[in-house]
Amino acid sequence: MSLERPDTVDDGAVERTPDELEALLGDLVVDRDDHLNAPGFVIRPDTVQETLSVLKEQAGYDHLSVVSAQEYENRYESIYHLKKYDDPTQEVSVVVPADKDDPVSESAEPVFRTADWHEREAYDLIGIEYDDHPDLRRILLPETWQGHPLSMDYDKDRPQIATLPEHANPLQDHHKDEESDTMFLNIGPHHPATHGVLHLKTVLDGEQVVDVEPDIGYLHRSEEQMAQNGTYRHQIMPYPDRWDYISAGLLNEWAYARAAEDLADIEVPEYAQVIRTMGAEMCRIAAHMLALATFALDINGDFTATFMYAINDRERVQNLLEDLTGQRLMFNYFRLGGVVWDLPEPRDEFFSKTRDFLDQLPESIEEYHNLITSNEIFQMRTIDTGVLPPEVAKNYGATGPVARGSGVDYDLRRDDPYGYYDELDWDVITEDGCDNFSRLLVRMREVEESAKIIEQCVDLLEDWPEDERNIQANVPRTLRPDDDTEIYRAVEAAKGELGIYIRADGTDKPARFKIRSPCFSNLQTLPEMANGEYIPDVVAALGSLDIVLGEVDR
Amino acid sequence: MGTAPAQLFPEYLVDTFGIDSVLGDVVASLIGAALVANIILAFSGVAGPWAKRKITAAFTDRIAVDRIGPFGLLIIPAAAVQLLAKELIVPEGVDRPTWDIAPILLPASAMLGFSVIPMGQIGPLNIHLADPEVGLALVFAFASIASVSLVMAGYASNNKYSFLGGLRAVAQNLAYEIPLIVTAMSVVIFAGTLQISGVVGAQTETLATVAGFDIPAWFAFVNPFAFVLFLTANMAEIGRNPFDIPEAPTEIVGGYQTEYSSAYFVLFYLGEFVHIFLGGAILSVVFLGGASGPGPESISFIWFVVKVWGFFLFTQWARAAIPRVRIDQLIEIGWKGMLVLSFANLVLTAVIVGVIA
Repeated sequence: MSLERPDTVDDGAVERTPDELEALLGDLVVDRDDHLNAPGFVIRPDTVQETLSVLKEQAGYDHLSVVSAQEYENRYESIYHLKKYDDPTQEVSVVVPADKDDPVSESAEPVFRTADWHEREAYDLIGIEYDDHPDLRRILLPETWQGHPLSMDYDKDRPQIATLPEHANPLQDHHKDEESDTMFLNIGPHHPATHGVLHLKTVLDGEQVVDVEPDIGYLHRSEEQMAQNGTYRHQIMPYPDRWDYISAGLLNEWAYARAAEDLADIEVPEYAQVIRTMGAEMCRIAAHMLALATFALDINGDFTATFMYAINDRERVQNLLEDLTGQRLMFNYFRLGGVVWDLPEPRDEFFSKTRDFLDQLPESIEEYHNLITSNEIFQMRTIDTGVLPPEVAKNYGATGPVARGSGVDYDLRRDDPYGYYDELDWDVITEDGCDNFSRLLVRMREVEESAKIIEQCVDLLEDWPEDERNIQANVPRTLRPDDDTEIYRAVEAAKGELGIYIRADGTDKPARFKIRSPCFSNLQTLPEMANGEYIPDVVAALGSLDIVLGEVDR
Repeated sequence: MGTAPAQLFPEYLVDTFGIDSVLGDVVASLIGAALVANIILAFSGVAGPWAKRKITAAFTDRIAVDRIGPFGLLIIPAAAVQLLAKELIVPEGVDRPTWDIAPILLPASAMLGFSVIPMGQIGPLNIHLADPEVGLALVFAFASIASVSLVMAGYASNNKYSFLGGLRAVAQNLAYEIPLIVTAMSVVIFAGTLQISGVVGAQTETLATVAGFDIPAWFAFVNPFAFVLFLTANMAEIGRNPFDIPEAPTEIVGGYQTEYSSAYFVLFYLGEFVHIFLGGAILSVVFLGGASGPGPESISFIWFVVKVWGFFLFTQWARAAIPRVRIDQLIEIGWKGMLVLSFANLVLTAVIVGVIA
């Protein structure tokens, strides 16, 4: 069976009960604050590194999913959501309260590199200061911003001034000596290869990249705060479509649906789960096709035929999604407890269209292999460039095709099953090359797996008895999850682990809504891949990461 | 060696109108130059706004321009008006007049190359301006002025992307011009002359007869290896895929062109197209028997057009299908691969010609 875990048993895979973990941590734990998804241990703000080291080294929690921070009436709080790459159902939350008047907490960056950006974001939006952090600056907002928008005393009417320093060369002195001379180059925020409004502060030595630092936040739209102002039942669901807006909408909606359904204890009918699974995989194909198309653009140049061919294929699946949801991009198709409506009538027509698409897909994939992956120049450009070793990928919290291209066998559809995935026959794709080529190959092969899933879903839906087609569970008009319940739930989106942390406060709106964006963590690995390589390799590495700035910046 | 070449175009004018004086020579030369320049500009005018779009669209499953005129052909005047009507933005800090000379130099250098290219006959007119004894050396000299223009543009723009593009252009041209010329020299060994009419004339004989068809002794058939080498080096010389590295829009956003707009931008594009056509013309002269082809001599201009446009089509095909190599890989291919191969080809040709002849 393809869905069984590979037989790799090490110390990390041993599951420990919460009490055993508490015993392992000993005096470090000052209190328990369990979440719906995981046991939570409250620790003192100056023992973060020690606690996380114990959990990472001795208990095998090697994946820091996300750091979510928030402000309470009497304290600040950072939560480190830990998982295992080998088994993401084993979770633990480390809760770090910080003083209300002087919110200082120890940084986790020395233990998990990925904490670097996550803590910067927490500092930027909430205002918690992280001691021992290597580079505690704002990350989403301009450096001149006054106040922290998600903190309680934020004055939103205060006028803000954002400056643009011209010809900045912050690293000039670091890299200038008698032998070498470097040049600082701004790549972006408007550049053909940045796939959106990303700004890369690049230091070049000739054609070689000495250092590259991604500067994000140009597309920050306060998605978390907007979700906090919406009601669970209806007003939040349209937003996820706008995170990874490259037609991965249903995958994003599922992230919110899964978190909220588990929070409010809603059971989704099986029939709706099959439709969700099918729609989500269509979205994955569309998203991967665009990744393939733009990657060809980055490697081949602007007028490559591969781009248009892949866009053509994406168009076909986009038409199917339009038939299913009524929308082409901003689907808003999922509802808590199911989906908004049943398959389009006549059903047979929809099924035959879907099957037509699936039938011609292998031919298209074959053509892409002929055009790009089997081209010697293409291989020369992508193999052994942008190398990301698996340990580094894990340290940065990389997920999705980026992690799987580095041989990290991690896919939430199989490892933390939801929807209808565990009933179907499909494989998780990994490649061991760790380079740009592997990441592309993973995406191309995942398209084939998605096609397999869709085909099985269509088979199931075709034979589904008419009187059992229940598309939505009975869900109360207003949802008010219990006060102070917290949950973190993730799904496998097109780019990786897309997670939602929600804290309920007894009202019909979330008190804190935190989005764990896979692109945000994946983009952090860019300097690891690009430093020391040539400019074209930076472009290729960035393309192979397949980021969407709407999801990075939220 | 073949039939005697027809009279050069300016000489024909002088004879026909009986204006045999210094002034007459000047006037006749100017008329000839104007004719050739207009042919080439017309080629570029069709290629840039229309043919390039149509060809690329055909390769990528699209339709492209079809809104104005038959087959969208009126896009050509429309694009001309649009491009020339745009504001010429002169960035602060550019190095003038270098910045202004560069876009003029590029098309000019490529146009100069056509002065020695035999473009075939239309009726009694032999469209060939001059036939100096060092013709082949001259045409390469003209063509390589282009890299000076690219460096000027890259350096004078005071833009880091332009600067990178200019540097790449130099590195690329150095690495590929030597194999290009060395390969062309192997043809000179066959032909025994640098004079272009001589090189063309050497290709008029019949190499073999297959099923009733005479295969001419084009050097592409005589030495296919040299032809492939020359074709590859030529693609690098004119900066097309997989060697469009000096522009590389997805890496350095257009390289040396980054800061140019309006008329200057048009001049750069014009220069590039003329350069592609000059590349095609050199290729046809050196390897494809010049303007020769089946049918009477008096329509050989058609064959010239076919060959040059065939090369243009080839560049567009390459652009739609082939990835771009990286700058360090390009240099490696040039210096470690092509240079060695082209010298091997030269030596081998010299030995074979020496032994046989």
